[in-house]
Amino acid sequence: MTDAVLEARDIVKRFGAVTALGGVSFDLRAGEVHALCGENGAGKSTLIKLLAGVHPHGSYDGEIRIDGRPAAFRSTRDAERAGIAIIHQELALFPEMSVGENLFLGALPQRFGRIDWDQVYSRAAATLAECGMALDPATRVGDLGVGQQQLVEIARAVAREPRVLVLDEPTAALAGHEVGILLQLVRRMRERGVACAFISHKLDEVFAVADRITVLRDGVAQGTLAASATDAGEVIRRMVGRRIEDYYPRRQAAPGRTLLAVHGLELTPPHGSSRHLRGITLEVRAGEVLGLGGLMGAGRSELLMHLYGLWGERRAGSVEIDGEPYDALDPREAQRRGLALVTEDRKRLGLVLQQGVAFNISLSALPSLRRGVFVDRDAEVLRARAMVDDLRIKAQDLEQPVGTLSGGNQQKVVLGKALLTAPRVLLLDEPTRGIDVGARLEVYELINRLTATGQAIVLASSELGELLGMSDRIVMLCEGRIGGVFARDEADQQTLLAAAMGRLERAA
Amino acid sequence: MKGLATRELSMAIALLAIWGFFAWAEPVFLSARNLSLLSVELAITAVLALGMLVVLLPGQIDLSAGSGVGLAGAVAAVLVFWHDVPAPLALLVATAGAVLVWSAMGALIAVERIPAFIMTLGGLLVFRGLHWLVISNQTVPVVEGGSQNVYSLLTTYFLPPLAGYLLAGLAVAMLAATTLRARARRKAYGFAVDDGEQAFLKLFVLAQLVFLVVIVTNGYRGVPVALVILAAVAVLVHQLVTNTPFGRYLYAIGGNEEAATVSGVPVRAAIIGAYALMGGIVALTGFMQTAYSGASTSTVGSLMELDAVAACVIGGTSLRGGRGTVLGVLFGALIMASLLNGMTLMAVSPEAKYIARGAVLALAVWLDLRLGQAR
Repeated sequence: MTDAVLEARDIVKRFGAVTALGGVSFDLRAGEVHALCGENGAGKSTLIKLLAGVHPHGSYDGEIRIDGRPAAFRSTRDAERAGIAIIHQELALFPEMSVGENLFLGALPQRFGRIDWDQVYSRAAATLAECGMALDPATRVGDLGVGQQQLVEIARAVAREPRVLVLDEPTAALAGHEVGILLQLVRRMRERGVACAFISHKLDEVFAVADRITVLRDGVAQGTLAASATDAGEVIRRMVGRRIEDYYPRRQAAPGRTLLAVHGLELTPPHGSSRHLRGITLEVRAGEVLGLGGLMGAGRSELLMHLYGLWGERRAGSVEIDGEPYDALDPREAQRRGLALVTEDRKRLGLVLQQGVAFNISLSALPSLRRGVFVDRDAEVLRARAMVDDLRIKAQDLEQPVGTLSGGNQQKVVLGKALLTAPRVLLLDEPTRGIDVGARLEVYELINRLTATGQAIVLASSELGELLGMSDRIVMLCEGRIGGVFARDEADQQTLLAAAMGRLERAA
Repeated sequence: MKGLATRELSMAIALLAIWGFFAWAEPVFLSARNLSLLSVELAITAVLALGMLVVLLPGQIDLSAGSGVGLAGAVAAVLVFWHDVPAPLALLVATAGAVLVWSAMGALIAVERIPAFIMTLGGLLVFRGLHWLVISNQTVPVVEGGSQNVYSLLTTYFLPPLAGYLLAGLAVAMLAATTLRARARRKAYGFAVDDGEQAFLKLFVLAQLVFLVVIVTNGYRGVPVALVILAAVAVLVHQLVTNTPFGRYLYAIGGNEEAATVSGVPVRAAIIGAYALMGGIVALTGFMQTAYSGASTSTVGSLMELDAVAACVIGGTSLRGGRGTVLGVLFGALIMASLLNGMTLMAVSPEAKYIARGAVLALAVWLDLRLGQAR
């Protein structure tokens, strides 16, 4: 292990009471590609952020070594200086600037205090050529497609001539031929002696470039394998592991009539021409929880947002609520028809943070809380209080600004707002993201209570355990299509993951 | 909560300092006549500021308000003086026109997504041009010399002394009733309330203030009807923003527009509604300001939008939306009106007045940011 360029030893990282990494070791050698695999929430991103200096030295236990010497990154700048370049999932480019400017921003070549544009563009052209991209360096980045932008991002990292290159889900936004360019680029970096860490959900890509594979699960490393000596099945088995079934207290209710039915739905993004979702057919019955799974970008959120009237244009197919056709025009219509949505991003899309608990809970239900032209304060307080008690929201009083509540309580406020509209079909998008175990269990109990009273629930989640534990039936999406439909007892994590990756036959 | 108390306190201190300074520099400032005039000026500034509050709450702005004031007053004056239209009808026509035009601006902002800043900046220029066009760059009185009509009476009618006292008594009684009722309800809801002594003290001071205003203005010609108009607008706007779904929507949009949309708030309709209301208030302010000047001239209403924004911000309204109260705006308007009145009294040059207004506006926004961060 002495030849490791970068080595992380026994890393423990906690966020409050949650342990994100429980003693992980990971090393990178010069001239190799080391892949990091794991489910969402397994701790991959946390590990990367440690290496990038986002979580500074001292906020974790364990040791990071560069060339065998201990490194203490206090900031991302320290990590950059040590020769570590990270390509994040989110783009960090300036769309109004040219490709060349973006490549060298912060270190633009200068002559007599003025930017030397000839140098900028000639060096940019050289870098782009090296990366196998035929692009004019004077092109405005905003005019490029998302995939090409991602490649520019990678070229920017290459331009800094790093010793360690970390790619975090670099192919998520890329089209097929672009993936090829990217993988070729990774191989070229390896030949030049760069140590590459490669994180991807897509196992075929992992096996196409990786020399070694480390699997993470629940913040613990599940072994490091030589890529030539293992296969996708083994990696998936290690990613999934076993879980405690009691963690998910689903009590099945007798399903009633079909409340939500979707037939052959085909959706395009607003103003977009490419089809994002197609051939979506599913139904949810009263008293039933339908799990909706899939990898990042598979279209889970988009489908829910469309049903709620917030996203996309319908190109084909139909939706029926309780047998009546439904057009999903806007959230108000959705509410009138008995739909409610709890969004994935509660701070951005769920709450008015500076306003109080009652204000937020009653916001969607105000049309039904009126006396004449005024808000019926008595009724409002009564129902908000009942909801607070029912969901066990911990707040000083109904006027406490929700921005000062804990994540779990904020999530319950969003749930309360949805429930106050008395929905027949409840759409939940990652309802347990970022909340602690206790609040999670309360959300699960709530799901049980709601289905017992005949509500239908669509539960979108990136956690396979949650899907398996809480759904009666599961639909897995794969790149905008249905990758598989399972009854609860005929599915396990491996088959779900395989369906999400579009490789159901091979893994099964 | 603490930040709020500091803000209230600093506003009160600022007001006292302003009044103290003017009383010392120009004793006439505290005369019944001047205070009576000040109350009319306050009414004009405050009514427009209350409209601005309704627009600022959902995170928008109206820079065209001042030009609109000039235009609405001009249209009504021209109808009355040049075309012999009865004054009530002229006011009605001008008001309807303003509501329509402001609704259209609101629609362009909410539906077509033109930034409010740009849309109303355009409005500022367009309305100023129309204003001058309508009056052909002349001076158009609001009424024939020597007579009076509804239009001119807006700022020249004063209630008889007895009526003033009766109205004050009624106002205090209503104030006491609503305060006590609201307090009892808040207690029943389990919300935080001031302790009884403090609540009584607040009510007592407020009641005294109301009677003081009546006594002082009765010392001149009586309670100005403009002040009664302000009271009516204040009660209306307060009820609207705190007790109706529309008002809730304004706060929700200003607090987090995306979350409001997802929650099913009719964002577009609410923003258009806010501008429609602003149109009505702009027209009303236009009539009052033009009547106060006696005639529509090319300078009526000029820069009033900035005084209105300043009054809102001084009164704790956030320019980013989502925060602001009627009481705060009234207070802010009192500070602005006092400043302008005192400076006019001291015969401060127009140059210095512009500089002072600008400095106060910048100071108020800076204060808003500082206090906003503190929380």
